[in-house]
Amino acid sequence: MNMLVSGTALLLAGAGLFAYDLYSFRARTVRDLGIQAQIIGSNSISALVFDDSRSAETTLSALQAAPHVMSAKIYTADGVAFAEYRRDPRQAAPPPLAIPNGQTEVYRFQSGQVALVRLITFHGKPVATVYMRSDLGAMQDREHTFAVIIAAVLLMSLLAAMWMSSSARRSIAEPIVKLAETAQIVLREKNYSIRAPAHSGGNELAVLTSSFNEMLAQIQERDAALEEARHHLERQVQERTAQLNAANADLESFSYSVSHDLRAPLRHIGAFSQMLSEDYGTKMEPEAQQHLNRILAGVKNMSRLIDDLLKMAQIGRKEMVRVNIDLNLLLQDVLVDLQPESGGRQIDWRIGNLSSVDCDPGLVKQVFTNLLSNAVKYTRRREIAVIEIGQVEQEGTSVIFIRDNGAGFDERYAAKLFGVFQRLHRAEDFEGTGVGLSTVQRIVRKHGGEIWAKGEVGKGATFFFALAAKGQGLAHAIKAAAGAS
Amino acid sequence: MRLRCRTDVSQCIARDRSTGRHFLLLLISVAATWGVVGVPSAQGQHAKPAEFEVKATYLYNFSRFVEWPAQVAQAQGDSFAICVLGEDPFGAALKATVAQETVAGKSVVTKQVPTAQDAVSCRVLFISSSEDKRLKEILTSLGTATVLTVSDLPKFTQRGGMVQFVLEGNKVRFEVNSAVAQRAGLTLSSELLKVAVNVRRSVPSGD
Repeated sequence: MNMLVSGTALLLAGAGLFAYDLYSFRARTVRDLGIQAQIIGSNSISALVFDDSRSAETTLSALQAAPHVMSAKIYTADGVAFAEYRRDPRQAAPPPLAIPNGQTEVYRFQSGQVALVRLITFHGKPVATVYMRSDLGAMQDREHTFAVIIAAVLLMSLLAAMWMSSSARRSIAEPIVKLAETAQIVLREKNYSIRAPAHSGGNELAVLTSSFNEMLAQIQERDAALEEARHHLERQVQERTAQLNAANADLESFSYSVSHDLRAPLRHIGAFSQMLSEDYGTKMEPEAQQHLNRILAGVKNMSRLIDDLLKMAQIGRKEMVRVNIDLNLLLQDVLVDLQPESGGRQIDWRIGNLSSVDCDPGLVKQVFTNLLSNAVKYTRRREIAVIEIGQVEQEGTSVIFIRDNGAGFDERYAAKLFGVFQRLHRAEDFEGTGVGLSTVQRIVRKHGGEIWAKGEVGKGATFFFALAAKGQGLAHAIKAAAGAS
Repeated sequence: MRLRCRTDVSQCIARDRSTGRHFLLLLISVAATWGVVGVPSAQGQHAKPAEFEVKATYLYNFSRFVEWPAQVAQAQGDSFAICVLGEDPFGAALKATVAQETVAGKSVVTKQVPTAQDAVSCRVLFISSSEDKRLKEILTSLGTATVLTVSDLPKFTQRGGMVQFVLEGNKVRFEVNSAVAQRAGLTLSSELLKVAVNVRRSVPSGD
């Protein structure tokens, strides 16, 4: 493309020069011919005046010295031929051109010749016309030479341009193209082990190429370092998880065995205390009976605690199933189960629509049971207990809430709510083992979800839980829900 | 310069009306003289100008190729006189030739002079062949006056004349004596000498 452009430019320039030269050469030829005609004419005036054609012919014969003049003829003012010169006597001259009125000279280029007719005056009056013909050999030679020179120059220029262009391409364009290509490949394949071919030359291109390669090397290093760190972390996580799992397993089996093992003696205590009370109750002192009742109560309490602990431990041991459950139905079951406690109370149940969820039905029933029985328990002091159950969507996650207008709790101790054996209320006010909520938390977490609560002392409490973590939005959803309620 | 025309008038390049009129006059005088004199130079072709006409033209044209000294040019009023001494062979031809012409800004006039003394105010003097016997006296009277002497008398240039008409075949030619002219203070142009059939360069001594 470049070649075409420069070639065209050169050609145009050459053509322009050529045309101008041709034009000016023609003009010069005509001028010279005119001058010759004038000289001839002036020198022939006396010959014309005195009718001496021989003298005129002598004058004309000087044209022998002009190699391109083919013929010259002098005509009198009447148009009569007076004297003539012919380089080649065999060739007759064509008739002369007529000079229009008012002009001194007229010329015409035709068929390789230039013909010129000039009017000669003597003391202001026309006395003769000189008709000269010259061949254009000189001009043609010149044209020819010029054309050859232009062609040669053009050719050499093009060759030079080609050579320079290819050399430039080699030293500049190619390395850059290569570099660009390499960059493209690296980007496309994300393969940072590729290197651009090194460029010799010690110029900016070499620097560019080596810098490029170094950058790739650095990227590779970082990738490697990153990978290693990741592996390291993975390993650590694995270790910790293993440790945690081990610890958990230990804890669970410990809890289980403890509970299990604790049960037996407790049963004994309970059974025999019962027998004592039944068989010898009437024979005992009232104080003694009281002591015995106290023992029995304590046994019952402990039994429940152990049961709850066992249940909690079991959660960890059992395999979780995932079934699609309509939570509304589940809820109804739970409410039915709670009848013994809730019956006989003024409870305003506000139940919203719950969705179906993939979960372990047994475990989730436990969640509802615990939370609802808490709600029922802690609203005992209210004339009308309001318990609200519903579901909200928080950032793609379904969050179920259970709200009551019961005793509530101090939010400052919210963290303790879900701790094992942690209670925020006195046993005299509200009985309980302190295990229920931690069980619920375990279950919910086992489903990959999360549970949190909000409350105010004397006003009530709301428990929120989500069963499934949708992507990583769960923590955010929890926070949002916590903030919204 | 006077243009020569043939009887075919269309070949003439007429410059202005008056010139045209004079051509007509010339034509008539040619026709007239033709019948009377017979044209010696006619060769059975188209009618050529008569000898005296050619001589008249030449007589006038000599003045174009001769230089008079500066003081003469300034003096002698504002007319350039071409005079004829003796029998006038030109008739109206000379008058026609010089009509409307000027030489160096002076209008050209023709005069008939009776004596040589009267001729000193002329620039060009044509000595008719009728004065053959008295030539010597005439030339002596003229002395070195700045007058161009022209004649068709035989041996005119040898006898002290400046320009002599000669006939070459049927062409009117002339020979000059540049020495005589020079003595009189006249410069004959090389152009003139170029077309002269003979150029003498010696002043006749004595007789």
